[in-house]
Amino acid sequence: MSLNVLLVEDSPGDVRLTVEAFHEANNRIHLHVASDGVEAMAFLRREGTYVRSPRPDIILLDLNLPRMDGREVLGCIKADDDLKTIPTVILTTSEAEADIVKSYQLQANCYLSKPVQLDAFESIVKSINDFWLTKVKLPQRVCA
Amino acid sequence: MSHRDLSFKRVDEKLWGGEIRLELLDPASDSIRQPAGNILRSPEIGCHCAESKDSLARYRGLLEAAPDAMVVVNQAGEIVLLNIQAEKGFGYHRNELLGQKVTNIIPEGFAERLIADGLRPAADALAQQMGSGIELTGRRKDGSDFPIEIMLSPLESAEGILVTAAIRDITVRKAAAKHLVQMESRYRGLLEAAPDAMVVVNEAGEIVLLNGQAEKQFEYRRDELLGQRVKNIIPKGFAERLIADGLRSAADAIAQQMGTGIELTGRRKDGSEFPIEIMLSPLESTEGILVTAVIRDISVRKKAEVHLLRKLEELKRSNEELGLFANIASHDLQEPLRMVAGFTQLLSKRYKGKLDSDADEFIAFAVDGANRMQRLIQDLLTYSRVGTKGRDLIDTSSEEAFQQAITNLRPSIEESKALVTHDPLPAVLADEMQLIQLFQNLVGNAIKYQRPGVPRIHVSAARNDGEKWVFSVQDNGLGIESKYFDRIFGMFQRLHKREEFDGTGIGLAICKKIVERHGSSISVDSQLGEGSIFRFALAESQRK
Repeated sequence: MSLNVLLVEDSPGDVRLTVEAFHEANNRIHLHVASDGVEAMAFLRREGTYVRSPRPDIILLDLNLPRMDGREVLGCIKADDDLKTIPTVILTTSEAEADIVKSYQLQANCYLSKPVQLDAFESIVKSINDFWLTKVKLPQRVCA
Repeated sequence: MSHRDLSFKRVDEKLWGGEIRLELLDPASDSIRQPAGNILRSPEIGCHCAESKDSLARYRGLLEAAPDAMVVVNQAGEIVLLNIQAEKGFGYHRNELLGQKVTNIIPEGFAERLIADGLRPAADALAQQMGSGIELTGRRKDGSDFPIEIMLSPLESAEGILVTAAIRDITVRKAAAKHLVQMESRYRGLLEAAPDAMVVVNEAGEIVLLNGQAEKQFEYRRDELLGQRVKNIIPKGFAERLIADGLRSAADAIAQQMGTGIELTGRRKDGSEFPIEIMLSPLESTEGILVTAVIRDISVRKKAEVHLLRKLEELKRSNEELGLFANIASHDLQEPLRMVAGFTQLLSKRYKGKLDSDADEFIAFAVDGANRMQRLIQDLLTYSRVGTKGRDLIDTSSEEAFQQAITNLRPSIEESKALVTHDPLPAVLADEMQLIQLFQNLVGNAIKYQRPGVPRIHVSAARNDGEKWVFSVQDNGLGIESKYFDRIFGMFQRLHKREEFDGTGIGLAICKKIVERHGSSISVDSQLGEGSIFRFALAESQRK
């Protein structure tokens, strides 16, 4: 059974690094990518071109996005009764306390800082996989 | 008042009628008190004139009851009547004065002289001096003089007009007046000598006194300001308005503004205005309570204040910009950096050994470059945060800060088997986080730049002659050549090759910035091959 992960990230380089890192960690993961907040919400609500998109098992969300930024997306997801049960992991470069606090206030499931070093990054991705996609019990999938 | 048909009472209570004619004195009479002058017996008149009797008694009563010395003088200048105050004032017995020339007690100036001289009739002389208080000199029996004021009034008599003189001893008043004049002249002297403009204002709000400085500051001539309302030079805020309005007494108004420097606006003759500070104080004078105002031109001070404020604003803005820049550096530079670092590392991982050795080397250099770049940016951010994220200096235990630094360095201390010792460390004024960082950097350096053998590091503090503690971090490490003593505190300055020692070279620059933020400076003493001592000072905490 493959798991679906929605990665909301605008930097193509970061996307590729994350893809490579997830490959290393778990090759049964199907990684979907939205490059800004608007696309992310459309994907989650299965609107437009995303009508046949699967419901992700977890969401990896960057905070600094163009158009609709990550904080707004977080707010929308957690305000939506249907979407709020999807664990949302903030994965961002910011280490600012204000961002951390704000994210938890908006009910992010957890907050991770993207390390600069590749091996550290790979280790983080591995941790996400070990924890959220292996150990953690996820809510039942709602029938599409 | 006529003195005819009077009754006289003898000692034996016998009354007899008569009249008084005031002429030349003839003291040779009864020893009993008698009015001066001839007393003509008029047996036929008898003692039935109750009215006349009363008039005399009344007049005598008035004379005696008068608070001042009173003397009645005839046209010959002789004293014909006096009261007890006159006796007391001049130190004579009544008998001694009756019949005496009034010049004996008032040597000069009495109208009688004019009368006696016959140069003018009493009426004229009196008309000239009537009612006016004339200051003359009185002479006592013992010959001593004292200042008097006399007031003359005519007295009709059978022999013509007599002069009644009310004589007031004005010794005290003259002394007070003299004292006041002295005080006023001394005050005037002070006023002129004062470095500030000084202005004295009366209850009506008018300037009654000013000094040269006031003339200069307000660009008026003295005579142009005297009598002017102080409002003309200090349009708003002077207490006089309160006084003049009668809304409060001068005392109250002054009490409110006493001693406080109030900032107001002064107006020069040409209408231009300038900022002033005034201080008010009361001044008692013969004209009532006056207000003395010290007026200080504070244009220079205000300009300096404005300048200072502006500089502070600039500094604040500059600091904020620096902080902003550092944040941008951290955020926006990190992203492309991560791309470079991440993909070169990915390349390295995936293709190591699969490409030729040159490729391996190239990739290694690229990866290394990216890594160092990343560390430099981190350090730059840390450096800028010393200023932007610094906290207030408060009572801090340097002992505890030191212990925390040692805890943070535990892995390297254990690895290098270093011996770190310290003397008791004092309470100081510091930002605790930064103090920990300072100790950590210095002790960390001491461990890092070691010679073969056991690294020994000792931290101590000694009081200097001020209120500061001088801290010393001493090691037995590599030492530093004296020509590099200044350079090592520069940003990213290193004395060793990267292969020898790791690090960006920001450590001591951060130490320097921290120490400078604490109001002191850092220095080093060292011998190449033997060791180094780093010294810095911190202010003693006041709380003991």
